[in-house]
Amino acid sequence: MSNVRLTLERRQRISTLRSTTTYTLGLLIGLACGLLVLLAAGAPASTLLNDLVIQVFFSAMGLAQTLTLAVPLILVGLSATAAMRLRFWNVGIEGQLWLGAIGATLVAINDVGSDSLRLPTMLIMSAIAGAAWIAVPLILKLKAGVNELVVTLLLSNVAYLLLQHLLFGAWKDPVNSFPVSPRYGDNEQLASLGFGNLHSGIYIALGITLLMAILVQKSRTGFYIDVIGHNRPTALATGIPVTATITLMILLSGALAGLAGGLIVTGVEHRLTQTIGINTTFSGIVIAFIARFNPLAVLPTAIVLAGIYNAGGTLKVFYGIPDAIVVLIQGIVLLTLLMIQFFRSYRVSLLRPSIKQPT
Amino acid sequence: MSQGSALLTLSAIDKSFDVHRVLDSVSFELANGEVHALLGENGAGKSTLMNILIGVYSADAGTLKLEGKLLKIAKPSDSARHGIGMVHQHFRLVNRLTLTENLLLAADGHPSLKSRSTARDTLLATAREIGFTLDPDCPVGELSVAEKQRAEICKVLALGARILILDEPTAVLTDSEASSMLGAIRRMAESGRSIILITHKLREVVGFSHRVTIMRRGETVAAGLDTGDLSIEKISSLMMGASTSSVSSDKPPGSVRPHGPDLLAISHLHAQRDDGAPALTDVSLRVRAGEILGLAGVGGNGQHELVETLCGIRSASAGSVMVDGADALGLSPRQRRKQGLRVIPADRMAAALVSELDIASNLALTSVVSGRFGWLWLNRRRMERDANASIEQHEIAGARPQGRMGLLSGGNAQKVLLAREIDSGMKLLLAHSPTRGLDIRAAAAVHQRLREAAAGGAACLLVSEDVEEIMALSDRICVISAGRITGELPGDANAADIGRLILGHE
Amino acid sequence: MEQFITSWLGSTPAFAIPLALASMGLVLCERAGVLNMGAEGYMALGAMTAAVLTLTLGNPAIGIICAVLAGAALALLFGFAVVIMRCEQILAGLATMAVGLGIAGVVGRPYVHKSFAGLQPLDLPVLDRIPLIGRLVFNQDILVYLTVLIGVALWLLLERTRAGLKIRAVGEDPASADVAGVQVQVQQLVAITASGALCGLAGAYLSVASSSIWVENMVAGRGWIALALVVFARWDPLKALAGAFLFGAIEALLPRLQAIGVPAPTYLMNMLPYLFTIAVLLVAAWSGSKKGMAPAALGKPYVRQDRH
Repeated sequence: MSNVRLTLERRQRISTLRSTTTYTLGLLIGLACGLLVLLAAGAPASTLLNDLVIQVFFSAMGLAQTLTLAVPLILVGLSATAAMRLRFWNVGIEGQLWLGAIGATLVAINDVGSDSLRLPTMLIMSAIAGAAWIAVPLILKLKAGVNELVVTLLLSNVAYLLLQHLLFGAWKDPVNSFPVSPRYGDNEQLASLGFGNLHSGIYIALGITLLMAILVQKSRTGFYIDVIGHNRPTALATGIPVTATITLMILLSGALAGLAGGLIVTGVEHRLTQTIGINTTFSGIVIAFIARFNPLAVLPTAIVLAGIYNAGGTLKVFYGIPDAIVVLIQGIVLLTLLMIQFFRSYRVSLLRPSIKQPT
Repeated sequence: MSQGSALLTLSAIDKSFDVHRVLDSVSFELANGEVHALLGENGAGKSTLMNILIGVYSADAGTLKLEGKLLKIAKPSDSARHGIGMVHQHFRLVNRLTLTENLLLAADGHPSLKSRSTARDTLLATAREIGFTLDPDCPVGELSVAEKQRAEICKVLALGARILILDEPTAVLTDSEASSMLGAIRRMAESGRSIILITHKLREVVGFSHRVTIMRRGETVAAGLDTGDLSIEKISSLMMGASTSSVSSDKPPGSVRPHGPDLLAISHLHAQRDDGAPALTDVSLRVRAGEILGLAGVGGNGQHELVETLCGIRSASAGSVMVDGADALGLSPRQRRKQGLRVIPADRMAAALVSELDIASNLALTSVVSGRFGWLWLNRRRMERDANASIEQHEIAGARPQGRMGLLSGGNAQKVLLAREIDSGMKLLLAHSPTRGLDIRAAAAVHQRLREAAAGGAACLLVSEDVEEIMALSDRICVISAGRITGELPGDANAADIGRLILGHE
Repeated sequence: MEQFITSWLGSTPAFAIPLALASMGLVLCERAGVLNMGAEGYMALGAMTAAVLTLTLGNPAIGIICAVLAGAALALLFGFAVVIMRCEQILAGLATMAVGLGIAGVVGRPYVHKSFAGLQPLDLPVLDRIPLIGRLVFNQDILVYLTVLIGVALWLLLERTRAGLKIRAVGEDPASADVAGVQVQVQQLVAITASGALCGLAGAYLSVASSSIWVENMVAGRGWIALALVVFARWDPLKALAGAFLFGAIEALLPRLQAIGVPAPTYLMNMLPYLFTIAVLLVAAWSGSKKGMAPAALGKPYVRQDRH
């Protein structure tokens, strides 16, 4: 057996069955590992179903909280989807989100526009601010060929420093000593739906998901995205408007992340704070990846992840399991899904080089 | 066999890539101190065979023997240990390292090449022995192509290679550089080394090799013939697989079909390769309406760059391209399509089709851009209706509009591409190796479509390395070599004449 | 003034060392062609491990060694994913980052905010009495000296040894390296594991040497800065070391300026390193110089049987 060895070949044709099976298997294995980690961290098995499913999805208050948490997650999931469909690495979703929140607050603090239009102005401004923040890496990539990965990452840090600069400086709420902005007026807050903390931002998130799905799946631009994302040389050779499509979708990616920030501050916080948006880059990418970059699938994925975040809160209060467990579970699921792709994309064969060897 | 015992024997080697069979029971034998020419068209399997010999690929079946002993080569370092070295057409040198560093890299575990200074000295000594000059301390990326090649040869010899495989060593060299390289090859053989010389150029085969092995479509068609017994005609017909009588009879004589105005006029076109070296030099061609112009030549002589320049993906450094009387060079690929340019590229899955998308989308790719299925929203139903019609009309077996493109066979994928490109707006069809990798039936179907396209009034430029294909289809034949058009022949020229021009043997 | 400079420069290593260690690890990893986005996670894991073990065992040395091992182990998981399983490097890096942050948060939970006796500065007698530079250069903890040593060693390794030659070759052109007999996968796994070890050490420095406490969000984006620093340093370990001290000096300057009453816009000035790095990227892209470019095969999985 000594001359038997393993060789690796890229599969040239991958059947739909193989793709589906490996994906499902990966997701199941990942979730199972996540559960094991939860148990190992001290969550009691007896109440796990209750804590993880019943409480967060089938109790009124739990569901309300889950959906509230889901609003920004849906948007960052869509933001990551828009960028990753074009193989653009937007790892600065957090930065765009913060810029969005800053943009909305800027409108609120300066009382821009009429009172009745204040809220829409804030939300539009948040989207514009997010798009403007991603425009920098976009332009650098298109004009100078600078890698977007590092630039989006760096600008994320810059955005956070800008946020702190404002909260510890000009925008500091004079009535208390915390680094938060003054509270928004009533006309600067999204309507509460009377269902926990849930606010009308959920409609915006749902509407945008639908629009994204139509854009990606039904529109001509969506067709272009598919071609550019899968095979850029073909897109160039067949005359598809590559630069225009990339510009549109990447600005959209930034705008969605910015809007997520806008919805958090107008819907939940009602002021600009330092604590919004932590880990949203990673969550957005995880959601987009699990949803296979399909906008409609982003919706349930984001809601399930929101449920896990929500349950994480419960676990923290009752069993002292820290929030970090949610990040850990996301990491495990993503890693499993990535690793299982090996069995989708490659063929491993046992090889005996001298099969025809005459005896 | 005139030689005594063989130094190296490869027998019954099989190799497939995924489902694609590239070597079918191939055998090869090398004697001590000989220059053995290995001939074959691109894709005949020479490089794959040599890559198996040096352990880059593994054979699916077959045996290797060195001096009568069974040889197991699992990885490149195994072959190096047995004194087998290869100089690839794409040099295996790490560009940002110096030549000395490249040698040290490859010399791990080598008894005498332990330090930087011994490595450097060995390189210089080797270079002196075969009459090269080289700078061992310059990053390889800054050397010219000819210098890189000499560097690579010295590196392989410094590692102690007794068997040296040279993959088209003169393809990238100027004439004078080529002559001195061939002289060096002769000297290396005289000093007791054995050389496997992969080449296309008959002048080199006849002038510099002792024996010849010829491969064609993954099989050995002539094994170890003495070069002295072979005529150029014999070699070229074995290599091309075309005896002069096999010109297809269904082609109308060139003068009968009426030709229209020039739809493509290329004059004095210059373009560069990616590395900045000239790829096209003063290329002038014209193709008239209703005519197929065959551009024959060995791959890598500027065809790829010509096709890219015509498509608008590569910019020309000088010259002009007129499509139907209007300048095309300043236009984007999209605008050139509007002018009536249609393209069948050599690698259809890389530059024309999207394997991850469905067949309907691939068929619709260009008409989506022109707005046929709506400007804002796509009319999927209409797209699939069109796709169904195309599939039926062009008899694309096993295709459904919703089926994934990547699951189609090569022949059917090419039918999809032809169905898309040959449309009512086509004035000029650019087809690059349109039947590469296809079986005979599929290739015949592609040929039929090209003939119909020309008969319908389009100008068709067929760029191909397959001389049979060129002869079967072309109304006129031009030959490209080293980026220049080296001759024009009538469509009924015989294979030997074409072969002589292609192989650079005037 | 002298006191200001002494205090400023004296506190610079506390900011610079974690960045230096992590970015030098990432330089090594990227020179082997692997883009490693996991540094933040390895650092968190290292910081937590070192703190927890120092707290429970009372010995910072054991804590630091285990932090190095923990970082290496997590990086090895990443290495398995990208080198053996050929996963997409960016996503796999982010995933292991999350795993590291997660483990650090969960396991370290009971030990949060408990201070302990950390690593003490070395008191080099006599030498630290040299005016001005004495206390600066000779009154640091051992990890500071070790970091400088690692930087020089790494540079020697990469530029002067055969082992470094192999790593560079793999990062530039794995196919050629493979033909030359280099075991591409082994080289990459070694480089990845070493980068994890250095990131683990960087984390340990944060908890055991510079703050003597473990809090959950302790790394606070330093892993990302280290990643940017690699680009800033054009993949050179010595420049990474120097860059880390430059970034660290800026960070250390701000609280001191405030302390003496200079109204410096702290947060805006903290943006400078990031903006510098973007400027460096832009200049490099425009000048198109071949020297100091990213390793040519960075981020690309290598499969020998692919037809190149």
